[in-house]
Amino acid sequence: MEKIRPVLGYIMAVFSCLISAAILPAIAMLSEPFITATGLTISPNYSGGEVVQTIDHGAYETHVHRMVFDDVLIGERKEGFIQVDWTPLDALPARIDEEIDADGDGQADFRIEVDTTTKEAMLTPYASWVLELEGAYRPKDFFLVRVHLKNPAR
Amino acid sequence: MTTSGRTEARSSGMAVWKAVLLMLPAALLSSLTWLGNLMGGDIDPLIVVALVASWLGFTVLFVLMLTTGKTYRYRSIMFILTAIALPLDFIPYMVETYGSMMLADDVMFSGGASFCPLTMPMIIIPALVKGVVIFPGEILPGTAKGAFSIMFILWVGASLAVGRGWCSWGCFYGGWDELFSRIRKKPLIKHKQIDSRWRYLPFAVLLAIVLLSAITFSPIYCEWLCPFKAVTEFQAPSSVLAVMQITIFALLFIGLVVVLPLLTKRRIQCGLFCPFGAMQSFLNKINIFEVRIDLEKCTQCKKCIRECPTFSLDESSLESGKPLMTCTKCAQCVDTCPQGAISYHIKGTPLKANPTVAKVLFLYPAYILLMFLGAGSVAAALYRILMLVTTGSMLH
Repeated sequence: MEKIRPVLGYIMAVFSCLISAAILPAIAMLSEPFITATGLTISPNYSGGEVVQTIDHGAYETHVHRMVFDDVLIGERKEGFIQVDWTPLDALPARIDEEIDADGDGQADFRIEVDTTTKEAMLTPYASWVLELEGAYRPKDFFLVRVHLKNPAR
Repeated sequence: MTTSGRTEARSSGMAVWKAVLLMLPAALLSSLTWLGNLMGGDIDPLIVVALVASWLGFTVLFVLMLTTGKTYRYRSIMFILTAIALPLDFIPYMVETYGSMMLADDVMFSGGASFCPLTMPMIIIPALVKGVVIFPGEILPGTAKGAFSIMFILWVGASLAVGRGWCSWGCFYGGWDELFSRIRKKPLIKHKQIDSRWRYLPFAVLLAIVLLSAITFSPIYCEWLCPFKAVTEFQAPSSVLAVMQITIFALLFIGLVVVLPLLTKRRIQCGLFCPFGAMQSFLNKINIFEVRIDLEKCTQCKKCIRECPTFSLDESSLESGKPLMTCTKCAQCVDTCPQGAISYHIKGTPLKANPTVAKVLFLYPAYILLMFLGAGSVAAALYRILMLVTTGSMLH
């Protein structure tokens, strides 16, 4: 054992050199497989969550994301949000007026009117758990609104 | 020339040749990396100049490190250059991409924030429990400078290769701290005046941010405590909270990175605050390299304790022959010990084993890491400076 330990130590030291040299190639080669294998995604708090409904308007599309109440470690929040976005930005009309079915039951839960040039938006809630407009934003290639919701399940 | 003079000249010539031979693999590896950068598209002569200059600079510094025994001095130059270079390239990139170094909500919602390894401690629990990464960035490389996948692989690789050595060889912020800690010749606040219990603070900060980030599902350190936001990117001051955050970033940078290192000649942010460094102290257990003190040679002069920039040596180290777990393998004690009693060591090998072999075997992965991260940043910053000189603007 006393003879093996130094040999293992030197092997590990050389291995450390190889690891260090392999970091850049590993970033290029392993990034996608690593993310695919782990299934990691950006928190819905930032990404808005998965898109559950896409409405095609010809020149542009409406993406309705899932309602987000699970941006906590355990369980669900009492309140959360839903993100609706429109893309591509350069094909959007100056004014959008759309009714959104947030919970997927076939009934519209709120109406959203947005001015895509001034970022002004107006919300008309139909369901009691739709609370208020959180904000309207215009990232690089889409326009989005977030609507504050009460968790209907709680 | 006398016989002893000739022998001396011959042995110093041998040392240089040995160093050149030792440096060759690293130089080849780095030149391959930069050739890869150049293959990407149209070759701008300014990029070629910047890449060649940074390659030459880093290679010369590595040769000096191998030949002179002044590891700390030459590492420090590369480390500080890396830290200064990062914002010189990053801030113009932010202005080009988002119009300023401030991130508006619009940018946050489209994953525009750049990841850095410091986010890792906060991300682990939510990633394990819910499979989500709590940061407004990108999972895979895209528009932002650093994606999660890049930083994760970099972090794992660096932890395996150099352990907590990351803090003196890989971190692209630590050089700021080191720069200000090296400006004054003598400290105004001596090490004895600093209560040793402050050394536990990074571990407390680590515990706090890991728990709070898991509870709030947001990267608390990035949002509230990172001093280096002041020289990279931060949230736009669109609310009172955002203004408070920006003020805290600026105050922490001035206090922990500029003023206290100037007064103490220590890396205060790295040694007494950084939670990532604290996490690396634990991960250092899986790394094969360490610093050891030969107690037979040690005369207890305590120069190493006075000189250690990260508070990683104390009286107990001189009894156990090991620095504390916070040691960043910066080589300051190795270089300054008048008895040559402190050296790099490979775990499992005899303490009296050839220290030069251990040193070279450590310097290789450490330098490769520093070269990959630092020389790239320095080349990018140099390119921006050359653009400024030739076109009057640092922007594309």
